[in-house]
Amino acid sequence: MSAQAKVVPIAGRRRGSKRREDPKGGPALDRRVVELEQELKELRASKQGESLLVALARAVSSGAGGVTWASLARLQRAFYFAWHSEETDEFGTDARFAETLEPFFEFLYAVWWRVEATGTEHLPASGPGLVVANHSGVLPYDGLMVQVAIRHEHPARRLCRMLALDMFALLPVLAPMLSKSGSVRANPENAERLLRQGELLGVFPEGVKGVGKRFRERYKLARFGRGGFVRIALRTGTPIIPCAIVGAEEIHPVIGKADWLGRPFGLPYFPLTPTFPWLGPLGVVPLPTKWSIDFGEPIDLREHGPEAAEDPILVNRIVESVRATLQRMVDGRLARRRSVWFG
Amino acid sequence: MPRIAITGTASFLGGRLLRRLVAARGADAVLALDITPPPTTLAGVRHRMLDLTLPGADRRLVEVFREEDVDTVFHAAFFTTPRRDASYSHELESIGTLHLAAAAAAAGVRHLLLRSFTGVYGARGQNPSFLTEERKPDADSRLSWVRDKVEAEEHAFSFSRRYPGLGVTVLRFATLLGPAVHTFYTRLLGSRVVPVVLGYDPLIQLLHPDDALEAAAVAIEKGASGVVNVVPRATITLLTALHLSDKVTVPVPHPAAYPLAELWWAAGVGEAPGGFIDYARFPFVADGEKARATLGFSARYSSREALESYLEYRFPGAGRPRTPMARTSAGEAHEVGA
Repeated sequence: MSAQAKVVPIAGRRRGSKRREDPKGGPALDRRVVELEQELKELRASKQGESLLVALARAVSSGAGGVTWASLARLQRAFYFAWHSEETDEFGTDARFAETLEPFFEFLYAVWWRVEATGTEHLPASGPGLVVANHSGVLPYDGLMVQVAIRHEHPARRLCRMLALDMFALLPVLAPMLSKSGSVRANPENAERLLRQGELLGVFPEGVKGVGKRFRERYKLARFGRGGFVRIALRTGTPIIPCAIVGAEEIHPVIGKADWLGRPFGLPYFPLTPTFPWLGPLGVVPLPTKWSIDFGEPIDLREHGPEAAEDPILVNRIVESVRATLQRMVDGRLARRRSVWFG
Repeated sequence: MPRIAITGTASFLGGRLLRRLVAARGADAVLALDITPPPTTLAGVRHRMLDLTLPGADRRLVEVFREEDVDTVFHAAFFTTPRRDASYSHELESIGTLHLAAAAAAAGVRHLLLRSFTGVYGARGQNPSFLTEERKPDADSRLSWVRDKVEAEEHAFSFSRRYPGLGVTVLRFATLLGPAVHTFYTRLLGSRVVPVVLGYDPLIQLLHPDDALEAAAVAIEKGASGVVNVVPRATITLLTALHLSDKVTVPVPHPAAYPLAELWWAAGVGEAPGGFIDYARFPFVADGEKARATLGFSARYSSREALESYLEYRFPGAGRPRTPMARTSAGEAHEVGA
């Protein structure tokens, strides 16, 4: 299964949907195309691995005396292209980079947090959709796990692009990592463009207030921004799929905040957890709680029409109802949960 | 027959545009305005010596425009490479455009085109993935390079508002890269070791000069169209571009990069002031949809092809075999957006 999962990244999906419309393309042809794609991928991977090995071997055999700028540049290039592809899509998503990180995310998903995803049948198989989830956990692990859940549990294996908070887009290492694995910056222009292209989007309307909330406020949903996500959903006629994530609040329990420490580094908050920053690098290891990700019934907003986006009272009412639905789903899951660690 | 005047014909884009227009419409249809004459190979091209930084430049321009019967002006006298004497570039770019726009309005010029840069949007972490023309340029940038260009655009538009007969087109070109391009970033590409910002790898757009010229020529034909982004077919990440050109990259943490670059610049060694670090950290990718819709222009080259053509020109023979597979797949992926 995992072999197939790797064959159908971003570009493959579009081609796949076209094939289904084609009356001549039977399932046999489909399978053959998947096989060929797999072969092509293996061929490319072996070539890439080879070039890295060749570069390393050359460097070793030439010894310390043979180190030149040219050989250094070749080595750096081989390292870089071993886990980056030479092309990205228009939003900066890099298929090879995503593949490289996939085992790590799969480990977090299946082993570390033992994520239990339900209700994936509520996600649309094609066309636009807006997944609205509660935000928590200091670092954007929850978004990555929603992405993995949809990729693995939904039959269409769709890529769910997460709208990343601006603060994550400013941080070194994290910023290119998120954008190369399919996230885009959270702003209305990006959201509207992607939904009009029929993409599946994930959004955390609580924003910074949600991801950095204190441990004693856990699972109490913060205010939902200014309702921008509802306005865009109304304008584009996109269904909203509420998504309740339980378990992520306890991975980095925030017991205090020292925001003055983070300010010089451009961070909006600086969390103190039982392990961070006291244990140094060990402090950034998230706790292995048991997670559940529940997708709820889609909320269809098409009855209101696109002009309803200009009605602030209506928009606020929808925002509140989405928030209440999500809070209800979170509370329901919490009531059924017996242990933070075992679910 | 009314003529097309081009300012800054000694610049890369201005000179190329002059050549192209001479080839297309004949030497008598264009007028070169610069402080230095155009190359002698362009014999028969009308040339007027003109210094936009002089106090009486606007009066002299009105005379020139009337005498030469100019109805279209392409203003290409802008610095791509930042200068250390910021006051001179301010005089030329901001005040010079003020003079030019005033003279164009007074002399009844129909169409004023400005060469501008997608860099005026400013590189920011909060930028959307595609900057459209509605996005306000970064008027409070810490770079005088950006502020002068934004002011020049504003001067042109303010005259166009007051004198409805004067139509304005501002072409915001993406970073030019291709044969014969010489700027501060190509000097960086010329050295073996290139400093980069640790932990950042933004998407960049590299525009082939042929595409830039095509867009300029189309815009002259089309008439006033406001602000238009001129961008290549596809983007490329900064590190991909550097590694494809076989550079050794040295990552510098960003808190150290700004003061170091500023120091380097102040010491007279650096290629650009510290504010340009933003452009190596954050994306400023512009959307080319308006150019497609209003000018009917879409670029022929992708960013990667522009880079390859530059490398072929700068380091002939060092090019590595191309990968046709990767190219076609990129072409498909970018049909929708870029």
